[in-house]
Amino acid sequence: MRDSYEVVIIGGGIIGSAIGFNLLKMGVKDICVIEKSYVSSGSTGRCAGGIRQQWSSPMNVRLAMRSVELFKNFEKDVGMDIEYKQGGYLLLAYTPEEEEDFVKNVEMQRSQGLDVEILSKSQIKSKFGFMNLEGVRIGSWCQSDGHANPQIANIAYSMAIKRMGGDFITHTKVESIDIANKKIVGVQTDRGYIRTNTVVNAAGFESSKIGKMVNVDIPVYGERHQILVTEPVNHFLDPLVINFNHNYYIRQTKHGSLLMGQGDANPMPGEDLGNSIEFLEEMSQKMVRDFPLLRNVHIVRQWSGAYDMSPDAQPIIDESKDLSKFIYATGFSGHGFMLAPAVGESVAEMIVHGKTITMDISNLRMDRFKNHIEIEKNVV
Amino acid sequence: MMYDAVIIGGGPAGMSAATILGDKVKTLIIDENDRLGGQLVKQTHKFFGDHEHYASMRGFEIADKLLKEIQKKPVLISLSSTVIGIYPQNTVAYVKDGQIQKVQYKKLLLATGAMERQLPFVNSDLPGVYGAGAIQTLMNQYGIFPGKRFLIVGSGNIGLILAYQLAQSGVEVKMILEALDKVGGYEVHANKVKRLGIPILTGHTIVRAIGDEKVEGAVIARVDKNNIVKGTEREVVVDTICVAVGLTPLIELAEQSGAKVSYIPELGGYVPLRDERMRTTNKDVFVAGDLSSIEEATTAMMEGKIAAMQMVEDLTGENLEDKIYDDLNSLAIFRSGPKSAKIRTGLEKMGINVPKIDLPKPQRFERYDDSKLHAVIECTEEIPCNSCEYACKFDAIKVGININSVPSFDPAKCTGCALCVTSCPGLAIFMKRSEDKAATLGIPYEFLPLPKMDDKMWGLDREGNYVCDVKVKRVVKNPNKTNIVYVELPSEFADMVRHVKYPSKESPYVCRCEEVTLDEIEKVIDLGVTDFEELKRLTRVTMGPCNGKNCKMVVLGILSKKTGIPISSLSHGTSRPPTKPIEFRAFLKEGEE
Ligand SMILES: Cc1cc2nc3c(=O)[nH]c(=O)nc-3n(C[C@H](O)[C@H](O)[C@H](O)COP(=O)(O)OP(=O)(O)OC[C@H]3O[C@@H](n4cnc5c(N)ncnc54)[C@H](O)[C@@H]3O)c2cc1C
Ligand SMILES: Cc1cc2nc3c(=O)[nH]c(=O)nc-3n(C[C@H](O)[C@H](O)[C@H](O)COP(=O)(O)OP(=O)(O)OC[C@H]3O[C@@H](n4cnc5c(N)ncnc54)[C@H](O)[C@@H]3O)c2cc1C
Repeated sequence: MRDSYEVVIIGGGIIGSAIGFNLLKMGVKDICVIEKSYVSSGSTGRCAGGIRQQWSSPMNVRLAMRSVELFKNFEKDVGMDIEYKQGGYLLLAYTPEEEEDFVKNVEMQRSQGLDVEILSKSQIKSKFGFMNLEGVRIGSWCQSDGHANPQIANIAYSMAIKRMGGDFITHTKVESIDIANKKIVGVQTDRGYIRTNTVVNAAGFESSKIGKMVNVDIPVYGERHQILVTEPVNHFLDPLVINFNHNYYIRQTKHGSLLMGQGDANPMPGEDLGNSIEFLEEMSQKMVRDFPLLRNVHIVRQWSGAYDMSPDAQPIIDESKDLSKFIYATGFSGHGFMLAPAVGESVAEMIVHGKTITMDISNLRMDRFKNHIEIEKNVV
Repeated sequence: MMYDAVIIGGGPAGMSAATILGDKVKTLIIDENDRLGGQLVKQTHKFFGDHEHYASMRGFEIADKLLKEIQKKPVLISLSSTVIGIYPQNTVAYVKDGQIQKVQYKKLLLATGAMERQLPFVNSDLPGVYGAGAIQTLMNQYGIFPGKRFLIVGSGNIGLILAYQLAQSGVEVKMILEALDKVGGYEVHANKVKRLGIPILTGHTIVRAIGDEKVEGAVIARVDKNNIVKGTEREVVVDTICVAVGLTPLIELAEQSGAKVSYIPELGGYVPLRDERMRTTNKDVFVAGDLSSIEEATTAMMEGKIAAMQMVEDLTGENLEDKIYDDLNSLAIFRSGPKSAKIRTGLEKMGINVPKIDLPKPQRFERYDDSKLHAVIECTEEIPCNSCEYACKFDAIKVGININSVPSFDPAKCTGCALCVTSCPGLAIFMKRSEDKAATLGIPYEFLPLPKMDDKMWGLDREGNYVCDVKVKRVVKNPNKTNIVYVELPSEFADMVRHVKYPSKESPYVCRCEEVTLDEIEKVIDLGVTDFEELKRLTRVTMGPCNGKNCKMVVLGILSKKTGIPISSLSHGTSRPPTKPIEFRAFLKEGEE
């Protein structure tokens, strides 16, 4: 750790790491990422690794599509195999309202150039005969969606950053941010002071705390989500399946284990990341019903992590109006991993060029909350 | 020719009977092999059981000892003689040198033992699929190995012992499959193979053998109540499949002799009905050993003696009641433990009552004084064995009247002589002295070559995973071939290391669940990953079904050694539920089952 950097990124999760990597790629060498614990200790370390493009607003679809472009080249660009697989995403509709939404979304997504289609129940049956499709009306299917290993991706970015000449400082906590004349002058950590003019707040569900240090209100809070993993079984499931109606998602990792989770009925706000036995009970009931072959499969581990929730369940990516060069990329609301490569690129562009170049992400600015809030529905 | 007593079958049951009958009446013993001993001659491991019945001797040594006793007596022995039938007028017909011979008996003892059960699976007729007995015969009697990589199906004592012997001979045993949800054989036998790194997969079976002309692999899968669990099938590469799924009595001759048989699965299938003194429904025909119930050499010998004494009483009128009573009593005690529950049930079905005796809990003693060398006894299952008690000359080990009791150990009386270590047939006793930093560990060792002073070896844990490097300090050779290797190691690992092995070219497994080797871990650390959590995410070490129970300490040890950070300052991750893998169905509400 040196005593001064051009850019200091707070938070060594997937977002902070992607931003750091892209800055270095764009030639900004004098940067550091500061992480209070180990790499992937935050939400990224708890994440299921789903990568989807089927969103309900055109800008989000485009951003996700850009991310997929970058994921395709991840191994070459960042230098590590992250088990990326375009096995598709299957979304299931059970009610007439869901069906209507799916049809509308698919039409919009196709207009953005996404390879998405509606599948009839019998088409789903013939593709995924092992599922119990009782009550299913239609499905929305996108083959280029997929999944990867978020923890390895996070570590891959961190190693690339060090390799490219940046600093990645773990077990170091930012305690305050120093301001003089409405400008950032430095960052105080528990292991020393760093001079800098540019700070990126990528502290995940704790980014509101970083905001408080400089009196910037960041409406992001943690919400506990639980997840479990099974023993490895023979490969049978290519896509990640999302079932909003039964409230779960499931995917199979390269290793063969199955990852699955749900949104708890009364999600716990805050940072308590404990586990509940009810989660296992609820998951077992519905997962065995919809995937009968899971019946005798062993659950090996359960854990929980915080979704980094924003008021409309969409990310907040912006530079503060009140404090220049205080940039935040947060509030990913349970889908920050899949967006990380594209967000890393856009935020780096904001720092280098003062605005985004590749993508238009103006819909993710903070000022949207002044108007009415349109909540992203497609979230588990 | 007429004999008072004819014995068919020269295993431990028949031989023990001959030692008694031989003095008293005109006796003939017939066996199809070219030497006496039955199953014993194939057994190179130390036997369990009662010290008075040769416990802690190796199987073939017991056969030699019995033979010497028989040879002192005027017993006629007809070897290489296969009995082909029992005919009217008490006639036994056998083939010897291609010729039929006939003899008559007044009393007949059948001790023909048992044959191996078959297991139906696809391609079970491929060359490369063997029964356990065939492999033992090839290996222990002829020194021939039918393959290089073995899959063993069945975790009864036979499967476990075979796995151990194969490993001793230097061939690879990939794994042992067991369809039930727990190991069939004795825990100590299971532990012996596990610490060699041979996994025992309970709840698993073989689905089919793979290969065109010979075995090239096998498909295995999880089983649930005899059903194969779909989606759990996987292939393993092996060139030999060994089926060790139990024995079933050879009853043909018994039936021909007029003895009634009955199906009693607890005793091994169809067995001759008989009374407590081994007399069948034909008053002149007796049975003993595996033919009467699949059990052990010890019980076979006791049964052989009881039958023989009753035959003597019948033939000569001599009163042997006291001796018979004594032997019946030892047999009942032998069978009183939990591992004999099945036999007791089976015998009850036959009208023979064997009491279950509640065994006393082993006496607990104060914490060990770790600064002096003392024994560590890891024998927690109630099995009929007391060789340690006999070995200890200082009264530190007590099994007591009931041979099924778990040994009590009083460390204050232990002098560190290690006689118990070499006598234990389960290799379940170790020596230990632990000081601040370094510890000394004595490990029973039955492999060749014998380690040499100052050699560096790998210390392996109870699952055969690498724990740390150890240094050989002393090697105590023993005539019974259970040698003791004393090694020095860091004291925090003294309770983890249970086997030592010379470093091999391939890097050792640290985490067997996820098959992560020492090399892989060190490489990732060399890349600059010095956090346990990151190391885990990159290598999957500790992320398997055991959740790191077995290897977490070892990984921390490696990390500490390479980074210089003491273990106490490293973060060790989170202990997440469930602590044991659990099936989804366990959470289903009733009615959905
Ligand atoms: C159970 C679960 C499943 C999920 N599944 C998916 C999925 O399938 N697909 C998907 O795209 N997303 C998923 N997500 C969401 C995804 O994990 C997050 O959106 C994403 O990881 C956010 O990344 P981040 O870098 O912003 O946050 P984090 O990974 O939380 O990183 C923030 C980092 O900042 C550090 N930090 C905080 N305060 C300080 C400080 N003062 N000083 C220094 N460092 C600090 C923290 O230690 C932390 O490491 C899931 C999340 C959970 C919990
Ligand atoms: C791998 C293995 C490990 C074991 N380990 C132990 C142990 O540690 N401790 C222990 O107590 N027990 C152990 N046993 C069990 C023990 O070996 C048997 O219970 C015991 O040998 C049974 O003795 P038996 O005399 O009834 O039969 P066997 O020993 O089977 O002898 C029967 C004999 O009869 C002969 N025979 C059969 N039919 C005919 C015929 N028609 N004509 C002529 N001869 C015939 C057979 O060839 C054989 O020689 C082990 C067994 C095996 C296979």
